Amino acid sequence: MSTPSPTAPQIVSRVLASVLGGYGFVWGFAAFGTALLVAGGMEYHEAWTLVMLLAFLLFLGLFCWAFAASSLARVWTVLAGGGGAMTLGAWLLTRHLVS
Amino acid sequence: MFATFRLSMTWLHTWFGLVLGYVLVVVFFFGSLSVFDREIDRWALPETRFEAQPMPSFDEVLAPVFRELEPHPDDMAATARRVIGPLPDPGTLELASLYAYTTHRDPVLLVGGEFGIPNKPKDASDEHQHVHGWATIDPRTGTPLPVDRLKIGSDFFYPMHYSLHLHAWNDVGYWIVGFAALVMLAALVSGVVVHRKLFRELFTFRPRKQPQRRLLDLHNLTGVVALPFHFFFALTGLIIFAAIYLPVSDKLLKPLHDAHERLESTQTGLPLEPAGQPAAMASVDAMVAEAQRRWAERGMAGEVGLLFADHLGDTNGYVSIYRAGTDRVSLTGEGIHFRASTGEVIRVEPPAGVVAGINDFLTGLHLQHFRHWLLRWLYFLGGMAGCVCIATGFLFFVEKRKQQHAREGRSGARWVDALAVAAVTGTLIATAAILVANRLLPEDLPARGTWEERVFWLAWLGALLHAAWRSAPVLQARRSAAWAEQCLAVSVLAVVAVLLNWITTGDHLWHTLTTGYWPVAGVDLTLLAAAAIAAMTARRLWSTTPTWEPAHA
Repeated sequence: MSTPSPTAPQIVSRVLASVLGGYGFVWGFAAFGTALLVAGGMEYHEAWTLVMLLAFLLFLGLFCWAFAASSLARVWTVLAGGGGAMTLGAWLLTRHLVS
Repeated sequence: MFATFRLSMTWLHTWFGLVLGYVLVVVFFFGSLSVFDREIDRWALPETRFEAQPMPSFDEVLAPVFRELEPHPDDMAATARRVIGPLPDPGTLELASLYAYTTHRDPVLLVGGEFGIPNKPKDASDEHQHVHGWATIDPRTGTPLPVDRLKIGSDFFYPMHYSLHLHAWNDVGYWIVGFAALVMLAALVSGVVVHRKLFRELFTFRPRKQPQRRLLDLHNLTGVVALPFHFFFALTGLIIFAAIYLPVSDKLLKPLHDAHERLESTQTGLPLEPAGQPAAMASVDAMVAEAQRRWAERGMAGEVGLLFADHLGDTNGYVSIYRAGTDRVSLTGEGIHFRASTGEVIRVEPPAGVVAGINDFLTGLHLQHFRHWLLRWLYFLGGMAGCVCIATGFLFFVEKRKQQHAREGRSGARWVDALAVAAVTGTLIATAAILVANRLLPEDLPARGTWEERVFWLAWLGALLHAAWRSAPVLQARRSAAWAEQCLAVSVLAVVAVLLNWITTGDHLWHTLTTGYWPVAGVDLTLLAAAAIAAMTARRLWSTTPTWEPAHA
């Protein structure tokens, strides 16, 4: 099976997915991960540091996956959906923890 | 979009590597120079060519310095833009906090502080209601360096490395460097995927084969031989600036962060705000002595690296003393905090937990506060290997495509090549040019440092224009003349810089080598080595270029 050469819109979409989609997911991971660890009893700075140690490795993985994955639709769903869900989760958890 | 994983990684490596490669070669180059930033400062500022000094007495030497310290004009201008109403006269502003910072390589000391201002910020979420002042002082006497002297190593090459000196659009330079770092990681991973025979490639370099083959061999060799180094530096660079790249504590998690900050303040006994009650500062020298006594008691006797005092002149004032990390990788600091008015110990920082310990170690490996000259030189060579890897990447990209582009009348290969010249030899030209300007400009020229920076940027721009102009042969699948010409320019400028150091300061190589003044000897020797390599490269390039033929109609 051979795939035709990628078109410009396909390339643009992959690049946006890897960069912006990846960033959005990692943002959600960072916020939700930190809040979740704090909710679990970890001290804030320790939780934040642990999440930061992992976040960029995660971004690396997602970045490569965005290009390797066969379905672009799946990539966008996971990155945007996951990032959005985690961001929402972080916001809700923060409100709960601070009240 | 791609038939196989390997094809997708090849595409990623090629195109992201190409586009961000221009940024990365600059980041790697100035990062390598930054290993020796203070040594470059010594070369650029002859008045600082004396031995490294420990933190001086606060009571005798620094207290008068801080009494004289005023807000820096640059920060006055920057702050005026973000507050409502005119700022008070800088001479009337009071210091709210101060710091003094030194390392085992510093003859001169960095001091600074924050001055409180009454103005309200334009942006309600802006919490910085102060102006900054800073100065570099001779710790033996307390005399400050003139304000317009540029520390070419630590204040120009080093910030270039992590910010590209691009502060527009909310410090976009940091973001470009950060994205380039992420792409570096992806390029390393994808590079390994694409070139599967990793171990064998460590030993593969076929210089007698076609240019395309030997360029790829060199690209793989330099990528693989320092692979952990390249990966590690890109990753730790991102971790160091994590608060910039993922500012969750300032945005989404701000309520949680601030609540924790208040809780922590009650637990540590370090107040977040002044009390509003005046109190004089006790002897800081006594606090320093106590801190050093406690470190020695723990089996880690050391010098003071950072001295910090907050809520100056207030009963809530405290002084924090941190240990210089000369003998270890981890940036632990071993902070001890004292009540400013009485000198009693409020808090001793406990040993770092597992997570903080890992972070301290990783960031410490990148920031290199330790005294270990062999390791520093290995870092420098690793960085240079990274530059060679990226440069050969560009050259391979062009070699692979220029025949086809020439046949099809496309100019892509030409422009990639021209930009590569600017990014590689152009960077070297600009670096040598600023050092030459540093020696040639009049000593009493106002804003001398700013003029030196202008020379740097102009030289770089000139190199770019020259590269564009001389790259026409690539359109006929031949080599751009710019490479050899710029190598010659690098060679000449580097030798001129060394000669000018001799003529203008008298610290020629024979003198610095026999007296063992390594900072200046090291810079001169490195400049001469660069000149030699550049000259040999120019000669080799000229001897292998066929006579230029006019383009056929």
